[in-house]
Amino acid sequence: MTEPRNAGPSPVHERLRRLLFLVPFVSRNPGITVEELSRALSMKKEDLLEDLDLLTMVGRPPFQPDDYIDIYVDGDRVYVDLDQRLSAPPRFTAAEATALAAAAELIRPAAGDALSTALAKLEKVLPSGAQRRFREMERKIDAQHEAPPDLGNLTRAILEHKEVEFDYFSPARKQTERRGARPLELFSHRGQWYLNAYCLRSNDRRLFRVDRMQHLEVTDRPFSAEPTPTRGSVPNPVRPTGEVKVRFSKVAAPYVLERFGTSARRLPDDGLEVFVSADQAWVTQWVLSFGGEAEVLEPPAFREAVAQAARALLSDAPSETTVLPPRADAAGGRQETGE
Amino acid sequence: MDRTERLLDLVALLLDATDPIPWAEIRESFREDYGTGSEDAAERKFERDKAELLELGIPIAYVQGDDERRDGYIVDREAYYLPDVQLTPEETAVLYAAGSAALASGAFPGAQDLSHALRKVGFLAGKPVPTPKVRLDLGTADAGPELAGKLEALWAASSARKFVDLAYWSPRSGHTQSRKVDPYGLALRRGIWSLVGYCHLRQGIRTFHVHRIQRLTVNPSKPRSADFEVPKDFSLDRYVASQPWQHSFHDPVPVTVELRNELTALAERLLPGAVIERSDGVALATVTATFIDGLSRYVLALAPNARIVAPAPARERFAEMAKKVLGRHTEVRS
Repeated sequence: MTEPRNAGPSPVHERLRRLLFLVPFVSRNPGITVEELSRALSMKKEDLLEDLDLLTMVGRPPFQPDDYIDIYVDGDRVYVDLDQRLSAPPRFTAAEATALAAAAELIRPAAGDALSTALAKLEKVLPSGAQRRFREMERKIDAQHEAPPDLGNLTRAILEHKEVEFDYFSPARKQTERRGARPLELFSHRGQWYLNAYCLRSNDRRLFRVDRMQHLEVTDRPFSAEPTPTRGSVPNPVRPTGEVKVRFSKVAAPYVLERFGTSARRLPDDGLEVFVSADQAWVTQWVLSFGGEAEVLEPPAFREAVAQAARALLSDAPSETTVLPPRADAAGGRQETGE
Repeated sequence: MDRTERLLDLVALLLDATDPIPWAEIRESFREDYGTGSEDAAERKFERDKAELLELGIPIAYVQGDDERRDGYIVDREAYYLPDVQLTPEETAVLYAAGSAALASGAFPGAQDLSHALRKVGFLAGKPVPTPKVRLDLGTADAGPELAGKLEALWAASSARKFVDLAYWSPRSGHTQSRKVDPYGLALRRGIWSLVGYCHLRQGIRTFHVHRIQRLTVNPSKPRSADFEVPKDFSLDRYVASQPWQHSFHDPVPVTVELRNELTALAERLLPGAVIERSDGVALATVTATFIDGLSRYVLALAPNARIVAPAPARERFAEMAKKVLGRHTEVRS
């Protein structure tokens, strides 16, 4: 696509903002290494050294030697001797406070009261003009995120390295079981929350869907955390090596392409064929969620499972035998992740 | 002098001053920048610099002099410095977790503002903040730099109240159309970012999925003056659907879904906002739907323990979809 015009703050604005932070930050952390400083400011080392160079030329009239900022690198460490009153960064701008408040909404269910009190404290110290602007801008961004209440306790267990136990509904086993796990990381994928954890039953890492957990308990059993746990991710079920072949009508095709990428074969009638790697329960739900615009072509057992589910819906007495798990949206990843 | 350097020099000058500094003195101090050319041109240049500083949160003000002091510019130091707001370690941790989760998603409007805000939170904490273990994956096929670029541009346009020209692709029609939109705001629901704004073509408030915007131009003229006002009673939440049955396609209709077996206990989780009645192991959940097809597809995926039972047209639509599924899966394929 064309590069959007006016994308974000101007380079001068960005640089000034960084420099006004850099001086007080180094004053507060004298002797910080160039490496650490560039990491703290998310910038390349070369760019940082250029910024430090520029700062040595900043001062105030009449520009006598003592009127300049004295910031220097000694060995590999950075020091400030004269900060020219840049002893603390400027207050939050309305835009900074708005972005932070919007981000806060993402984890509000996990954060409890601390988030509300933190935001209230920050709003109080906005410059007076910025407060009005903040309230105006706050209406312009809404990152509301549905999340189960267990998130708060899971976050705590992750931070305190405590094992957890919970009842987990497993669609493949069609039953709910008590599970134990060492929680490593929580993440939200397309609005669905997952716990990336070391499962004490399988002795391996597993993903658990938080909305399928019940009766969560944070135990007193500590565990030593991996220094950098591998990030969990929900695999895309649509992939060329999948063993289940699904056809989509022309109506559904654009949505499937948009969501699952381009590893699909386009058909002459503008429909699509894709290969999926997932279990029968997941495929059945997925296909049903397209309301007749998707069809399992093979294998026959998967095809029959969809037909059977549709038949059960059309009969008067609901089936008591096949129990499928709840799904949150039609476009989740592989669902049997906690197995 | 380089503009960044000049602006920083101005900050240093004004932060140090105890008395207002007259324009003539500023002009004299920065002779190279404001001293050459006409008085008008110099003043305009200074006004632009002043606007930039105000945007950075530097409270620069002009004060009228009196017997005691001269006319001139001054910065209120108290109002400039970020005060210690005394965040508890827990508060710092949640702010960090929230900000990092948003940045980790790869696309968040105002990402640069957010990074700066987090640095300031870190400054207040005075010590390293533990790396949060909470993150957000948008999980869309195209969540990446492109989406991030569009969100940044829309965020800037929405903040400055500048209209945008979009090339918008609709999966329903399969076509791309040009739309002129006054961007009122951005909302995230189920991993999808939406732009809500006044569409000049449709002459009404419309919602656009940001990832479906193929090209985007923010009105480049007069960047500092607003093109539109957002109506006072506008609320983003009213225009974005959190659930598949909340897209606005028809008038609101109460629709009842029956849940059985394992799903009975999960009624509140499955149908948020529904009025729920339970008896004999069955839950009847009634939601207000503005998109019965969306609800039907959602309930189909809960088969076989969920179905739409009322009103009749919704029940029939649901059965029609189930029949279509069955038809497709019982046909003998050549």
